[in-house]
Amino acid sequence: MSPRLRIALLLAPALLVVGVFVVGGVLQAVLQSLGFAPVVGESQWSLDAYRRVLADPAVHASLLLTARVSLISTAAAAVLGTALALLVRRLGGRRRLAVLFHGTLAVPHLVGALAIGLLLAPSGLLSRAAYRLGLVDSVQDVPALTQDAFGWGIIAEYTWKETFFVAVVALAALGRRVSDLEDVASTLGASRWQRLREVTLPVLAPPVAAASVLVLAFVTASYEVPRLLGRPYPTTLSVEAFQRYRDIDLTSRPEAMALAVLVALLTTLAALAYLRLVGGLARRSL
Amino acid sequence: MTRRARRPARPALLTTALAATALLASACGGAQDEAAAVDASDWDAVLAEAQGQSVDWYMYGGDQRLNTFVDGEVADRLADLGVTLNQVKITDTAEAVNKVLGEQQAGRTSGGSVDAIWVNGENFATGVQADLWACGWTADLPNAEHVDLDDPAVATDFGVPVEGCEAAWQQASSALVYDSAVLDEADVESVESLLAWTAREPGRFTHPAPPDFTGSMAVRTFLYDTLGAETVTAAAEGGGLDDDVYEEARDETFDRLLDASDGFWRGGETYPVSQEEVEKLYADGEISAFLTYGPGAVGSLVEDGVFPESTRETVLSVGNISNVSFVGVPANAEDRAGAMVLADVLQDPEVQLGLYEATGIFPVIDLDTVEPALAERFAAVDAGPSVLSPEELTADALPELDSATLARIEDDWRARVLRGEG
Amino acid sequence: MKHSPWRGAAVAVVAVVTVLPMLPVVLWAVAGAWRYPALLPPELSTRGLRLLLGDGVLAALGTSVLVSTSVALLACLVGLPAGRALGLHRFRGRRLVQFLLLAPIIVPPLAVTLGLQVFFIRYGLADTVAGVVLVQLVPTVPYAASLLAAAHADLDTDHEQAARVLGAGPVATLRHVSLPLLRPALVTAFLLTFLISWSEYVLTLLVGGGRVTTLPLLLFSAIESSDRTAAAALGLLVVAPPVLLVLALTRVAGRDVAWMGVSRA
Repeated sequence: MSPRLRIALLLAPALLVVGVFVVGGVLQAVLQSLGFAPVVGESQWSLDAYRRVLADPAVHASLLLTARVSLISTAAAAVLGTALALLVRRLGGRRRLAVLFHGTLAVPHLVGALAIGLLLAPSGLLSRAAYRLGLVDSVQDVPALTQDAFGWGIIAEYTWKETFFVAVVALAALGRRVSDLEDVASTLGASRWQRLREVTLPVLAPPVAAASVLVLAFVTASYEVPRLLGRPYPTTLSVEAFQRYRDIDLTSRPEAMALAVLVALLTTLAALAYLRLVGGLARRSL
Repeated sequence: MTRRARRPARPALLTTALAATALLASACGGAQDEAAAVDASDWDAVLAEAQGQSVDWYMYGGDQRLNTFVDGEVADRLADLGVTLNQVKITDTAEAVNKVLGEQQAGRTSGGSVDAIWVNGENFATGVQADLWACGWTADLPNAEHVDLDDPAVATDFGVPVEGCEAAWQQASSALVYDSAVLDEADVESVESLLAWTAREPGRFTHPAPPDFTGSMAVRTFLYDTLGAETVTAAAEGGGLDDDVYEEARDETFDRLLDASDGFWRGGETYPVSQEEVEKLYADGEISAFLTYGPGAVGSLVEDGVFPESTRETVLSVGNISNVSFVGVPANAEDRAGAMVLADVLQDPEVQLGLYEATGIFPVIDLDTVEPALAERFAAVDAGPSVLSPEELTADALPELDSATLARIEDDWRARVLRGEG
Repeated sequence: MKHSPWRGAAVAVVAVVTVLPMLPVVLWAVAGAWRYPALLPPELSTRGLRLLLGDGVLAALGTSVLVSTSVALLACLVGLPAGRALGLHRFRGRRLVQFLLLAPIIVPPLAVTLGLQVFFIRYGLADTVAGVVLVQLVPTVPYAASLLAAAHADLDTDHEQAARVLGAGPVATLRHVSLPLLRPALVTAFLLTFLISWSEYVLTLLVGGGRVTTLPLLLFSAIESSDRTAAAALGLLVVAPPVLLVLALTRVAGRDVAWMGVSRA
């Protein structure tokens, strides 16, 4: 068997899955957003779906919310996760805490949404504790943290889960090699702050950046958390796309596809921009 | 590390391109054969055909008591007839109709996955437009003798003639549920007094955002209050509302709501997604009054300690909004005979009684047609001090308008009140 | 910083903040009526936990196990050869293949599935376990392939060469040499893909059409219902297996465990 054929055969199953489902799926979403009606029905090609979607104030509001939630969650997770990793390294007890972090990572986001809801809702555990402490007199006084206009509940869920993801990635990067480098730096007379800025953070930047891209792409596109912790209006783009797909009026489907394409485009752009920003990361990411 | 030098291979592009086009290319398959109709007039034949069928009934799944009843008594009765019932719980009936439409669009004209849908109103009308339903079978159900098929509430569904395309199985009536420890009887007399109370005690009233079924009813309640019962009744019996009349009443209602909504939950800045959300808010004491379509279920919630004991019900002076809901069978359904047997079982007087006792859902059958002993048991059902009797509830029943108007009300409300567009 | 008295306290604070959000879930799962503003449930009840023994939940548990096991097995079967090609061989187009395999991580599976749904219906895959398993390969295969590519890159192929020189056939080499060496990575890949599948909600909903009922589907409708106790009890059932699996794995495997981080719903 020729080596080329061998490699082709080895890759075939995975490429079939990605090719048929991902490439085919995106292609289909694009085609259907342009009016293609597969299997049966009349295809009417036009950009109407995009025009309608882009002119819709609900979509504008959705875009704003999606951008706000995903950027804040990603930034918070990146900063807090890095800080947490550094803190844990200083504190010691690293193994046990790392195990705890891993456990938190494994919590499905659906359960995370339930947990954050039960914690932060006006009748949630925090509000009950505030009442006990005399900070609020009635449930009406509690500020809304879920189903709120800003999206704090959604942000809280993502930040909680993804901080530990970033922390785990950063902890993995803070191996012995970093300690050695830091020792060298300190022998050369670097202050603690200089060591952090010149040695530790540069080592952490690539893996944390790669992790942040994954977080950003995930948060931008995910459905269940904003659906459960958000408002009926505005919703994030994924929720909006899903709802239009499920609309009883099938003529909304091209709009759903247009929104899905928009989300895919946004996540891809965000990923590319980020990778470019931190340069040379693409090589490490697989 | 030994990494073998390889001749350049480039399988990736080719494989991917092939795979991606495979789906597109194979998309041109022909449509399947149309499903053969089931003739309901020969009921024994229907029963025979239904033997061994498994009926997928798509129904709103948010009512736990109803789920238990359907899984228990209804499923047992169907099992006796050799039919397996599979309850598919959905959050919005539109999902099921959308699914059948999607199958229709994908050329699946037989062997459809949805055998029966709990449906009414806009969802039914959409199905009628798309020629989705199996029709002309409901009068042939043996238990249809207990249903007054000429009653306008059963013969039309939100203005659309039913024409045997769906079989009635329950009745919904609106009511206001409130905590009598917080609101006086004078506060819950009318829409006017309720809104005055929200101005005095802000943050304690809300309703789900339409298109939620109950949320839509709440907005209609306010609109009907502006229109007046006579106009609504005339519109429902005649050909709907005049545009001018509607627009004037709508603007007046929404202005009133926007004024009042400062006193709603969260200052009217947002609305809950669903009725379940509203009921959780009431159970938590965040709100003290809400509108419901299921007043019969309130008693058991009080009994369980979920709702406070001071919970009471009333009908606002504008009147109560009632409608019947149905079981529809898609024309492409795999197990249509079984679905018809399900519709018949649901109209069985004993099942209707069991439904009323277990869930507080009002019967759709005409109690004059059932045996006196059974009728007495209906009258004897005691739902507790919190709950009004069906007679009290429906004394001032208002009809539903056509579903096109409903959809318009919902859209306009979302634009004006929820999104705050001018 | 040596062992300051603050250290223990700081570790405790970090630990508490980490698990705090799960506390109300545990409380609600065993709560009876628990009205605002009681801080703790005034009475405990086994109702929530008993709900987990109902027919519906057990059936969904079975479906979840079936779907996730199938997805994990298939993803590893598909990912193993791809990982071998990527980890051991340099070839033209390798970067493109890597990019394609990364695509499903960046491009949302929801967008992909919306586009494909009509074909799933057309070919009778909608509403079936098979369809759900197939669509869940989208978010899982990339991880399996990446993990196994990394493992192959670290693999010392001298052992394989030696086996071949000593006359072992390709199958025997695979069985007795390669697979044992790859075992830790395979276990990790299996568990990781299992977890991704276990948590999956929206793809299952779309392709399964409400008829393939996995635990996340039940949980979602429970969260939407007015019964918080039921939602919390189901939440515990959904969260327990992945957390236990990961904790067990953290002890066994070391390095690859960072990949667990990407097991997301």
